Amino acid sequence: MRDPTTDVPSAPAVGRVLGTDEATPLDFWVAVAPDQYLQLDDVVVCERAVPGAGTVTVSGVVSRVRARHEGAHFDSDVFLIADGVLPGEVVEAAQVLTTRVEPEIFVPPLPGAPVRRAAAAERDHALYFDGMARRLPIGLGRDGLPLYANLEFLEGTRGAHVNISGISGVATKTTYATFLLYALFNSDALGDEAHNTRALIFNVKGEDLLFLDHDNERLTEVERDKYRRLGLMPGPFKSLGVFAPPRRNDPNAAPDVANRHHDVHAFYWTIAEFCQQELLPFVFADAEDERNQYTMVIHHVARVLTKGQPLPDGQWKIDGELIRTYSQLVQLIEDRVTSDDDVVRREWAGPVTTMGTVNAFIRRLVSSVRALDRLVRADVPLRDTRAIDLEQHQVTVVDLHNLPDRAQRFVVGVTLRRAFDRKEMMGQRTPLWFVVLDELNKYAPREGTSPIKEILLDVAERGRSLGIVLIGAQQTASEVERRVIANSAIRVVGRLDPAEATRPEYGFLPPAHQKRAVIAKPGTMFVTQPEIPVPLVVEFPFPAWATRPDERGAQRNASKPEALAPEDPFDGLP
Amino acid sequence: MRFAVDPWDPDYGSSVGTDPAESEADVRIDVECEPDAWAAITLTEPLAGDVPPVVFIDGVRRIDARTWIQTDGESGSSSSEPGIFASYGAGAVRCEPGRAEIAAVEIGHVVASPARGLGDVVLRAGTWRAVAARDATIESLTYAVHEAMTKAEVRVAEMARRGGDEMIVVDGPLRDRSHVPDAVGLIKTHHVRYLADRAATVVDGLGIGQRTPVFLVVSKWSRYSWYVRLPGLDGGPWSGVVRCEATAELAPEAVVTLAQQVSGLLARFASEPHKEPRAPQNLYPIAGLERALRRRLGDSAVIYRALRSAAAATSSAVRPVSAAP
Repeated sequence: MRDPTTDVPSAPAVGRVLGTDEATPLDFWVAVAPDQYLQLDDVVVCERAVPGAGTVTVSGVVSRVRARHEGAHFDSDVFLIADGVLPGEVVEAAQVLTTRVEPEIFVPPLPGAPVRRAAAAERDHALYFDGMARRLPIGLGRDGLPLYANLEFLEGTRGAHVNISGISGVATKTTYATFLLYALFNSDALGDEAHNTRALIFNVKGEDLLFLDHDNERLTEVERDKYRRLGLMPGPFKSLGVFAPPRRNDPNAAPDVANRHHDVHAFYWTIAEFCQQELLPFVFADAEDERNQYTMVIHHVARVLTKGQPLPDGQWKIDGELIRTYSQLVQLIEDRVTSDDDVVRREWAGPVTTMGTVNAFIRRLVSSVRALDRLVRADVPLRDTRAIDLEQHQVTVVDLHNLPDRAQRFVVGVTLRRAFDRKEMMGQRTPLWFVVLDELNKYAPREGTSPIKEILLDVAERGRSLGIVLIGAQQTASEVERRVIANSAIRVVGRLDPAEATRPEYGFLPPAHQKRAVIAKPGTMFVTQPEIPVPLVVEFPFPAWATRPDERGAQRNASKPEALAPEDPFDGLP
Repeated sequence: MRFAVDPWDPDYGSSVGTDPAESEADVRIDVECEPDAWAAITLTEPLAGDVPPVVFIDGVRRIDARTWIQTDGESGSSSSEPGIFASYGAGAVRCEPGRAEIAAVEIGHVVASPARGLGDVVLRAGTWRAVAARDATIESLTYAVHEAMTKAEVRVAEMARRGGDEMIVVDGPLRDRSHVPDAVGLIKTHHVRYLADRAATVVDGLGIGQRTPVFLVVSKWSRYSWYVRLPGLDGGPWSGVVRCEATAELAPEAVVTLAQQVSGLLARFASEPHKEPRAPQNLYPIAGLERALRRRLGDSAVIYRALRSAAAATSSAVRPVSAAP
């Protein structure tokens, strides 16, 4: 079947480019034929002949749809029309945002040109999926078909990092981050590399992420089918390591979790590690002001602390004293930097330090005892499992939700620093390490500087070449350091606060998408990636792993941390 | 002093002439009842669900350009005659409870002139069909267009007819359209007084939702007629009054039934003053149809430009000298 007006092969047209609104190469309106419909996010394609250049194909995505009465002049005419008194026709139109013009001759589609739905190869072409050598499923479109991201923009070849914004509770930021990880590990996007790839997740809310290796009992068959359509087998994560802080005032340092009783390890740092690795600056993880003199004291004291000897169970002997607990350490530092003996004081606090500066330092140090005494200790028999080991399991969850704010910053800062140093030592990009961190606005705020922010900036700017990929999330991108977001190749937006949605940080969303983000349902995400000029609206399936204790089903591969699950025999089958 | 404001927009004049002439035709008022028994008849409006299908017929016309037609005579001499390019549209709205749709439309373009050897003018926008005019006066030229439009109206009326049970209401006098059987003409403006004496006072005293008895006008083209008062604000005598016509070929009893049925329906379609400058007489379906038809005539500026460039292309054969006002 050929269309007489343009002489191009035509699938059944859903409408024609209309001529009452201007058509441009970047967006145009389509009048929808009477017995057809177009909905938001439909992918459409139309063609026009260009003299001397042949046929130019313009593909795009529907971003707005409208319906109106033609023939009505007054609002109340609708009653006359509905009553059968005034003739009026309902006409539907859809605005299309162009995604691709092929070949790249930027001419507007002509009014009257038939517009058809893009299917199969045409859809892949319109959304650039055809050019993606390795593609990661990121969810389903409104048409029920999978949408993809180009993996090269995620794993560092051409870009890295994901940034997710949205209101807590309804935006499902963390769930989407875990879905992306699941897709990375279980699709064939990473190929053989998937087995060595590791992920680190910081759990900041409830015990939500402690059951990633359990089946989700509420997963329905409909949702399972969505996984299969994405080329994934629904199921929990196969290899999970869970670390939780020790219970406060527990002499055995048992992990402080309520619902997970097996395969969860208490993590802490020994006094020896604290001193040898110079972790003291992370105790002062508040926004640092360069004008504050006491930061000099921190670095001086940290260096002095390294000059001790290790003893069993991570104890540390320095200046003739045996240190077993964090409060002993703080007491020691306080004694030395406020010593009446000038020689001692200068040795610890630095040569030209006033008492005021020392007091500022002491005040902050002493107040950290309550937050950190359970995380920095040498008062329990040393055990192998107390160190957060990122390499043993495919996914490592570090639970922070029971910790005070200051301790959270300490754990995130120290863990990221260790991971970054380790990757720097390995000197190669693979295996990839993914880090999921919510509340970026806390760790990398727009204003001020802190040791954690420095590390996050390191990760954002150099992680791409080191193979550390940050999947960061926050409620409000406007409160996060610009460079962290600017370095994220893939940006995701869930439900947004109406006031937040209009900020320039979301300028990558077209106006219609900004409006939609305000009413987005849980499970709906707007994903922008460098190759596709229009954000893709994806729906990701209900998690196949438990996200709450009451969803918990069977656990996979219980208590065998070193053994990764055998390859799924159904992997790769449609 | 008391005064009433005529409900029509002043640009359209008034629905009734300030000094309407007496009709010269022979008017017989004994069709429905004896002349002594003349009185207003109250109409019953059918319930919304029982409204039968009604088809409204109307036409619009527009002068696209005035022209001088130059034709070569046998002796080699050439002569010029005035003419007009015009477009017309005829359409039918079919109203059923819950749905009013434009059921049929015919758009035509003509070039009218008394010039001998007048031929069709083919443009990309369409073909301007040649129609002969009796003479070069503007009345004759527009009448030639009107005639073409009226023929189109008759055709669309037949196209819009489906079940056979529909009422057909034609905007304006029936005249040439009287051979659409059972059609009722609807006249909004009153230039002629058909009734006198006692009968005339019945018209003055019509209440909303009332009609006069049917009377017969005998002339070159005889027809039955009656007056109906549509709902609306009080705007002086004869405000909201329309005159209906039906062909004289019908039997008197059939006309009375038709008059009662059609008149009862009109109130449903009467327009309101804030939406329609000629409310209530210009009915909603007809106003909507006229707007749709005018749109379908095409943009006048585009057509004018097309005609001018076509004229230039024919060197001196067709030369428009001025646009339609």
